[in-house]
Amino acid sequence: MDFVQVQNLCKNYPDTALGEFKALDNVSFVAKAGEVFGLLGPNGAGKTTALRILATILRPSSGSVRIYNFDVSEQADLVRHSIGFVSNNTAIYDRMSAWELVEYFGRLYALPADRLYPRMEKIFRTLQMEEFRDCPGAKMSTGMKQKVSIARALIHDPPVLIFDEASLGLDVVVARALQSIVMDLRDQGKCIIYSTHIMREVERLCDHVAIIYKGKLIDTGTLEELADRHEQNDFEELFFQLLTKGDKGHFHTKPPIGLGMRTLNAPTFAQGSAP
Amino acid sequence: MNWSHVKLIFHREVRDQLRDRRTMFTICILPLLLYPLMGMVMMQVAQFHREQHVSIGIFGNENWPSDSPLILESSDPSQIRWKTLTVDDAIGATLAQFHSVQAQTNSAVKNKSTQSYVVDGKAAEKLLRQVHCDAVIWVPPGYHNSISDNPLVILSNQRWERSQLAIRLLAEKLEGWHLSWIRTQLAWTELGTALVDPLAIRQLDVSPPEVKRALVWTKILPFVMLIWALTGAFYPAIDLCAGEKERGTLETLLCSPARRKEIVWGKLLTIMCFSVGTALLNLASMHTTTSIVMTQFSQLGATDMVASLGPLPLHSMGWLILLVIPISAMFSALALAVASLARSTKEGQYYLMPLLLVGMPLVMLPMIPGATLSPGTSVIPVTGAVLLSRALIDGEYGLALLHLPTVIAVTLFCCFLSKRWAIRQFESESVMFRDSERSSVAQWIRNFWRQREDTPTSNESIFCGLLILVSLFYGRLSMSGMPLSWTSVVQSTLFIQVGIILAPALIMATMLTRSVRKALRLHRPRPLEMLAAASLAVCLHPTYLAFAAAVGNEYKLGEQTTSMLMQFDSIVSSTPIWQVLLMLALIPAICEELVFRGFLFAGLQRNGGHLRAILVTAAFFGLSHGVLQQTITASVMGVMIGWIAYRSGGVASTIAFHATHNSISMILASCSSRGIHSPHWLSWAIEHSDGHLAYTSTWFTLSVGIAITLIAWFATRGFALSKPRTSIGMNNLREQRVTLSS
Ligand SMILES: Nc1ncnc2c1ncn2[C@@H]1O[C@H](COP(=O)(O)OP(=O)(O)OP(=O)(O)O)[C@@H](O)[C@H]1O
Ligand SMILES: [Mg+2]
Repeated sequence: MDFVQVQNLCKNYPDTALGEFKALDNVSFVAKAGEVFGLLGPNGAGKTTALRILATILRPSSGSVRIYNFDVSEQADLVRHSIGFVSNNTAIYDRMSAWELVEYFGRLYALPADRLYPRMEKIFRTLQMEEFRDCPGAKMSTGMKQKVSIARALIHDPPVLIFDEASLGLDVVVARALQSIVMDLRDQGKCIIYSTHIMREVERLCDHVAIIYKGKLIDTGTLEELADRHEQNDFEELFFQLLTKGDKGHFHTKPPIGLGMRTLNAPTFAQGSAP
Repeated sequence: MNWSHVKLIFHREVRDQLRDRRTMFTICILPLLLYPLMGMVMMQVAQFHREQHVSIGIFGNENWPSDSPLILESSDPSQIRWKTLTVDDAIGATLAQFHSVQAQTNSAVKNKSTQSYVVDGKAAEKLLRQVHCDAVIWVPPGYHNSISDNPLVILSNQRWERSQLAIRLLAEKLEGWHLSWIRTQLAWTELGTALVDPLAIRQLDVSPPEVKRALVWTKILPFVMLIWALTGAFYPAIDLCAGEKERGTLETLLCSPARRKEIVWGKLLTIMCFSVGTALLNLASMHTTTSIVMTQFSQLGATDMVASLGPLPLHSMGWLILLVIPISAMFSALALAVASLARSTKEGQYYLMPLLLVGMPLVMLPMIPGATLSPGTSVIPVTGAVLLSRALIDGEYGLALLHLPTVIAVTLFCCFLSKRWAIRQFESESVMFRDSERSSVAQWIRNFWRQREDTPTSNESIFCGLLILVSLFYGRLSMSGMPLSWTSVVQSTLFIQVGIILAPALIMATMLTRSVRKALRLHRPRPLEMLAAASLAVCLHPTYLAFAAAVGNEYKLGEQTTSMLMQFDSIVSSTPIWQVLLMLALIPAICEELVFRGFLFAGLQRNGGHLRAILVTAAFFGLSHGVLQQTITASVMGVMIGWIAYRSGGVASTIAFHATHNSISMILASCSSRGIHSPHWLSWAIEHSDGHLAYTSTWFTLSVGIAITLIAWFATRGFALSKPRTSIGMNNLREQRVTLSS
């Protein structure tokens, strides 16, 4: 089932210098339940913009985005109940403890107390956050903050999760933990949109990827398909090639959308295992 | 709206602020510490002041008449320390010098025996230093024999503050003695002592003591409270907006189920809570401290001060609390809207100043001596509310009740507008996710040209409006006085209308937009609408005149303005009517409409800002009239014309309205001054009273009815012809205020 459907998405920012700035130009992709969809691109490509639109924080200039079959513009309330958003700036309140923060969001999602607290206990246990549950945000390390941020996004058990450069600033151990959390979530049948710069992470986690550059979608498909199409097995090299091609303007004008099935253990890209 | 979200957000924000040490300090600790500390300093200063003694030296103490007061009083705990000095040779020589000065001036002061005159000069200064006194008084030998022939000599150095004080105290003493001396002298004569105090005046103050005590408070407390309410709103507002942006938490809140409106309400209530809290804490702390300080003072004997600054009656505290709540609500919404612009807390600090600049005058206005609650002041936001609370404290319930509805309506309207602004800010992507400015000025200007659009942006419109107001100010200054002839009337009208009002808008329309026609909202005239607008002008004219008369009653025209207007009338009445109508009705109507309902309206109306366009253009239109009375009437008319402009989608109808309105005013005025009576067939509508043409009550009533019908016609009429752009085209993205999904 297609949990995320993005069609001809455009986003223009007003810009004092250029009048307007096309941060996203006709981007389309589809992400399914039970898969990790990688959204890749260099700095300033428009990843955050796209994810913010999926999260109903920004409104698309044109095109349509449907999440869990709800339209982000017209059914924003329903979309918000179906997503969990983890941003790169960990977004933790300085004067609130981990427990309070998660509780606050849980109550915003109108979870009744008898469901909220057991769920919080469970999440705190799985994410190993019990030892700092009363620690105020100002005193947390980046890794702790990111865990709280994930707990906040998971509290209402949404079918779609959006991670925007969630591994930024995390050490190897915590980054691995994050990857295993993401894989667990995928195995629970959730659809995960995962944006990152780190190609090893992509190789470990992602089933499908979409590469955007300067607001345009360069290519999309499974890792295997991309490798075949561009005859390049090293993904980092492939990514780099695509960008240089993109600079010269030779990329697929109409990239194939959401073909291929999920490929587990693709031969060239080792599927990451939990640490 | 889901109030449980609002409640949740409110609880969180309040808890968050309570945990913030900085906020707690400014809001709770500071007021609790500030006033006691200030009180302590005041007490210290007062005591220092009281205990300042001056020393006055007396030469020739033995020369006093027997009933001299000075020596007798030297034992009382007064501020003066008397020093009896003996005249030695050197001093005697110096004093002799002054004796000659005295001799010269003697005749002039002959009859004023205690006249103290000051001799400056090096010798005197030396003498004062020599004897270590702040002032010296010399009682010349033989003084006890004849007071009037031997003036006292007083030496002082007015450069020394203590010397000034010494002279003042000495003068008081001598004055008292002077009077008692006259009394004793008169007692010996037949005239009796009544001659000294021929006039007996008994002054009675009928104000109840508790009201009198509150007098100073009623002026100071609202001011202090509202300033604190503003400050108390501002700092939490910055933390709640810019702070959340900075930490990135706003993003997560925006994608939570809480809608923008609910977020704004939650934050607004929090800010209000702290604003009210700060104001009340300051009020309480200031009041308690002052009461204590005053008790201390009364023990020290400063009873007059205590009488005017005693404790405030309890019920007046109640009124002040009632005042602070709506004003805090308004300030909070304003602070929230302003703070939401800031990207960081640091940037937010910069916005405090403009906010204070707007808030201060409104809070200061009631402090002006003689400011009372009146129809005029009650419509001024904040000021009206402060004056109302003052009237309530003073127990003038009748006056308060009379203006209560206006004040409440104005305050609520302001609260509504600022709340709406705050919500708009939160719904606007460009405010919530404002990018840091990266471009250079040169690039910005180049792009200004390249990226022109059909209509001006709202910033360009506001800039144009301000430019016109400033040029009008200087233009009017340069045209000194009133035109003396019709030619100069024509010249100044053309200069103002075309040169100052129309030209900037025309230039901006050609330079900054692609389509002058759209920028000025010129459309194909629709005769029916124009006719309706003109008829509406005719029908609203009686109401307008009544309103203008009421305004004129409330805000009296100055004498100078009145005489200038009379002179103007006499010039106009000696000019052919068609010229008057052309110059004073048609040309102003065309120019002003093209600018205010054209260029300014077009820019402000973008992205659904109809209400904003109507109100702001009305304000600009009003302010472009020089005289306050005209400003008020024109602003109100401006709202009406703005609404017509909005309903009809262009300036043709508003030109028709405006020109008709001006023409009727001109015709009525010049017929009145020419002594022309209304024709017979119009006698049912216009009558001659008091040497003026005036509307009959029949027509007045009828006109209101027709006006309402016409307004209803405009309201129900579809304005499809002014089709707003539906798709988000390329053109209106520059200043896009996309309403976010919420
Ligand atoms: N609020 C905004 N206003 C104007 N331009 C913006 C705004 N936000 C982002 N942009 C621009 O849009 C482009 C895409 O930004 P975006 O943040 O989506 O990139 P990204 O792919 O997430 O980059 P990164 O990898 O650095 O996070 C950038 O060029 C950025 O400058
Ligand atoms: Mg990003």
